[in-house]
Amino acid sequence: MRRIPGIRRVFRHERGRVERDVDVELQFHIDARTDDLVRLGLGRDEARRAALAEFGDVKRYETETMRIDRGYARTTRIKELLWSVWFDFAYALRGLRRSPGFAAAAVFTLALGIGANTAVWTILDALMRQPLPIDRPNELHAVRRTDQPNEDYLNSFQRFQRLQAVMPDPQQLAAMSAFGRMYATTGDQPEPVLAQLVSGNWFRTLRVGASAGRLIDLDDDRVLDAGAVTVLSDAYWSRRFGRDPRIVGTTIRVNGIPLRVIGVGQPGFQGLTVGSSVDLWVPLSMQHALRYIGNYSAHNADTEKAWAPQDGIQWLILVARVQEASAARIAGALDRQVRGDLEQQLATADSVDRAYQLREHVTLQPIPRGVSPLREQFKDPLRVLMASVGLVLLIACGNLAGLLLARSSARSHEVAVRISLGARRGRLVRQVLTESLTIALLGGALGVVVARWGTAMLLRVASSGARPIPLDVSNDVRVIGFALLVSVGTGLLVGAFPAMRVSRYGLYDAFRGAGRVMGGRSSHRLPLGRLLVMSQIALSLVLVVTAGVFVRTLRNLLVIDPGYEREHVVVARLDIRAAGYDSAALPALYERLLGAAAAIPGVRSASLSLNSLAGGGTRTSGFVVPGRTLPPGESSTAQENYVTPDYFSTIGMTMVAGRGFTRADGVGAPKVAIVSESMARHFFGTDRVVGARFGYDAPPDLEIVGVVKDARVNALREAAPRLVLRPLAQGPREFVTSLEVRVAGPLEPVTAALRSAIHQVDPMLPLRDITPLSDLLERGLTSERLVARLAGSFGVLALLLAAIGLYGVMGYSVSRRTNEMGVRLALGASPGGVRLLVLRESLMTSAAGVVLGLALLLPVQGVTGRLVYGVSPRDPVTVALGTALMLAVTAVAAFVPAWRASRIDPVDAIRSA
Amino acid sequence: MGALDLLQGTLDLLILKTLSWGPMHGYSVARLIRERSDGAFLIEEGALYPALHRLERQGWIESDWGLSENNRKAKFYQLTARGRAQLRAEVATWQRYTKAVAGVLEPA
Repeated sequence: MRRIPGIRRVFRHERGRVERDVDVELQFHIDARTDDLVRLGLGRDEARRAALAEFGDVKRYETETMRIDRGYARTTRIKELLWSVWFDFAYALRGLRRSPGFAAAAVFTLALGIGANTAVWTILDALMRQPLPIDRPNELHAVRRTDQPNEDYLNSFQRFQRLQAVMPDPQQLAAMSAFGRMYATTGDQPEPVLAQLVSGNWFRTLRVGASAGRLIDLDDDRVLDAGAVTVLSDAYWSRRFGRDPRIVGTTIRVNGIPLRVIGVGQPGFQGLTVGSSVDLWVPLSMQHALRYIGNYSAHNADTEKAWAPQDGIQWLILVARVQEASAARIAGALDRQVRGDLEQQLATADSVDRAYQLREHVTLQPIPRGVSPLREQFKDPLRVLMASVGLVLLIACGNLAGLLLARSSARSHEVAVRISLGARRGRLVRQVLTESLTIALLGGALGVVVARWGTAMLLRVASSGARPIPLDVSNDVRVIGFALLVSVGTGLLVGAFPAMRVSRYGLYDAFRGAGRVMGGRSSHRLPLGRLLVMSQIALSLVLVVTAGVFVRTLRNLLVIDPGYEREHVVVARLDIRAAGYDSAALPALYERLLGAAAAIPGVRSASLSLNSLAGGGTRTSGFVVPGRTLPPGESSTAQENYVTPDYFSTIGMTMVAGRGFTRADGVGAPKVAIVSESMARHFFGTDRVVGARFGYDAPPDLEIVGVVKDARVNALREAAPRLVLRPLAQGPREFVTSLEVRVAGPLEPVTAALRSAIHQVDPMLPLRDITPLSDLLERGLTSERLVARLAGSFGVLALLLAAIGLYGVMGYSVSRRTNEMGVRLALGASPGGVRLLVLRESLMTSAAGVVLGLALLLPVQGVTGRLVYGVSPRDPVTVALGTALMLAVTAVAAFVPAWRASRIDPVDAIRSA
Repeated sequence: MGALDLLQGTLDLLILKTLSWGPMHGYSVARLIRERSDGAFLIEEGALYPALHRLERQGWIESDWGLSENNRKAKFYQLTARGRAQLRAEVATWQRYTKAVAGVLEPA
């Protein structure tokens, strides 16, 4: 490869040159003086000594002079380089101004491409790499189980205190609850907020600052049910209170309990869970007073009483701030304490159970970037999208490279003249690259704007709720850095093809190409251009097929039979626990709710349930079947729900055996249950279980009265769980969270009427939302929908770009071969024959591209495998359809140039040659 | 009379003035200054070179390699247009300066 002269120029003042020059100059002076003195009659040695004496300290003057020259050489070099870069840049801008259409199209294409890439990358970066906005995030660790290092490990408050005791400093270990939905009354209606209970040292351990007021401290969390204070998150403070500092010191009601607002967290801090934003924090001591219930597991405990004193309720996530050097030692101490606890608890358990439980080991897992279920959910989809959007940019680059290539050959005469006038080839290459870099940088600058908009759009689309996902994407330096990097890469890539061409130009080629002599093969057929189009077609095929697979995945999920009817059902999610009802008042309230709902015109039936469908909340309990032991390693749990008798008819669950619940299944009546098919098979090994008995513990006090068809009650993507359904009347202390109504006719009027009906029953009853069941289910498919939608649009875009690329190259080829076509026609070729000639050539190109694309699909499909549902990533139908589509579109794109070729007037063509 | 120390900046003025008679190499500059001043200045000839290179960097003089009278490679300096203007300005300043000093020293 030739050295690029631009670089050689920098080295023109090569090392040693300055030194040599100064040396020669000074030596000349001394020699000349010596000669003069000799002429005056001195002996040579004497003369030299005298000359040196007159000159003074040679070394010193030499060094001083060299220093001056070196500084001079450096500034000259930099000046020269800047000057020539500026010259190339101005030249490129002039060139672009001469063809504004081309410039606008190119810049716009790249702006979209770079913008889309930057948008996806911004989110990926914020989700995967951004550290928590706290002091020294690398010291933050979560206490986790060694065998489940990525899952929350729950502890009782008692164990939290025991673990604090083994820390070098107890305040290094803090506890927090899972998020809980609570209802804050700041106006006239309770509004849902996301709350988190934290230990008094939590903010200290994290080292978070306050925007206003102070944060929760040790004294706020000392006494059970005392500490009625709350800290708002900065985001909630902005959203709800317009950053009014006067809010500090006032009192807001949360779940009916007055809490004094003591402060606001620092801006950007939304808790440790990336992608969820906590609205307010409350001391752990308020758990019982606030009737908080979040993710927990209980054993030998009463969850209706305060949780803190009960060692049987595990509900706290523990985080520690420890330096890396001491992390292993502290983790060891924590592990010893946990195992000591377990030994004590298991003293009475049988040996199998003991061995099973004692597998538990804890460790400290660094969480500098916080924890994030979102990370797991969106990691793969975002990577796939990143790859797709990257490929789209690559394809767009191909088009641009093709255009520049055509432009550069159209300017071959200019190039030839410049070469013959002595322009160095490297200089021309640099100019070509500067032009493409200029386009790319302009595109990139515009792309940053596009990205800003795109990021916001993505966060909105990816969110399953009404608000966009709260992700901090404001890291401008990184975003702009990325956009700059992509722009430069794009510019170099786009410029590489025309640059290669220019660098290979011989003077002869240039003039021959510029003259209108019939060219040889290489000059009009753009072999580089063909290669480009071929790769574009290959990449588009990959994108189109991948998009097809994702679209089919989404469709498969949407049409899945969940085991109940998703249409005609509206679900109201409420939080009766938060409203502060006494459990004695519950049956009456439930009657009134059901009555009010059933009275709405258009409602056919109404039901209540403990946990709503597709609602996220589940209760899992252990069950025992007398006379049957499950094989070791098999789980003895099933998902439990409490429902009213009309539940099955309201949501349209199918009974496969036995009966449903009736009003007779009340508190005093025999305890009954309805189980799902998979529950029956798992626990009993058969579907014929009506009349069989099982229970939570040794006396099997539940009788199975019916069996329902398996249903995907949690999410469309999640397999049907083992279900145990109990009549709500037999769980009188259960707080339901869901009211379902079956609707005949349109859903909207019923939705509105349901809202006011619930409001009439109790205006202070916290209502989370009222949603058609189908919407509720589809919310669980956000990431699938996002991927299908975006991958689909990327696929279409890629297809279009590839078609335009092919059109461009064929069109160019035809226009350069006008006289060849003219000669062919003059010599008797039929217009159809000429058309076929051109079509055949373009089809060869696209066929080669398709083959290459099919080969590329193989590794790609391995990556997408995890994201598909009900369709193979190599689904032959999708691949065949994609290929056919690709060939069809390229054929259409090639037809216009082919048709034009056949319409060439031979006389004109030959004369103009 | 003993040799004089050269005032700061005066060497630059002398070099510019000397070069105003035509292009020459450093040795010639040194010779001419020595002859015209009758060797009055206490100056090491080596000091000439940093000064020459500094002046070149300022853009007042420019240099090129050439051959000396006895056919040796030597670096020749010549005034640029800016250098000529600089010389005029410095001569004027110098004259005002000496006149003012003389005015004070002259017996009234």
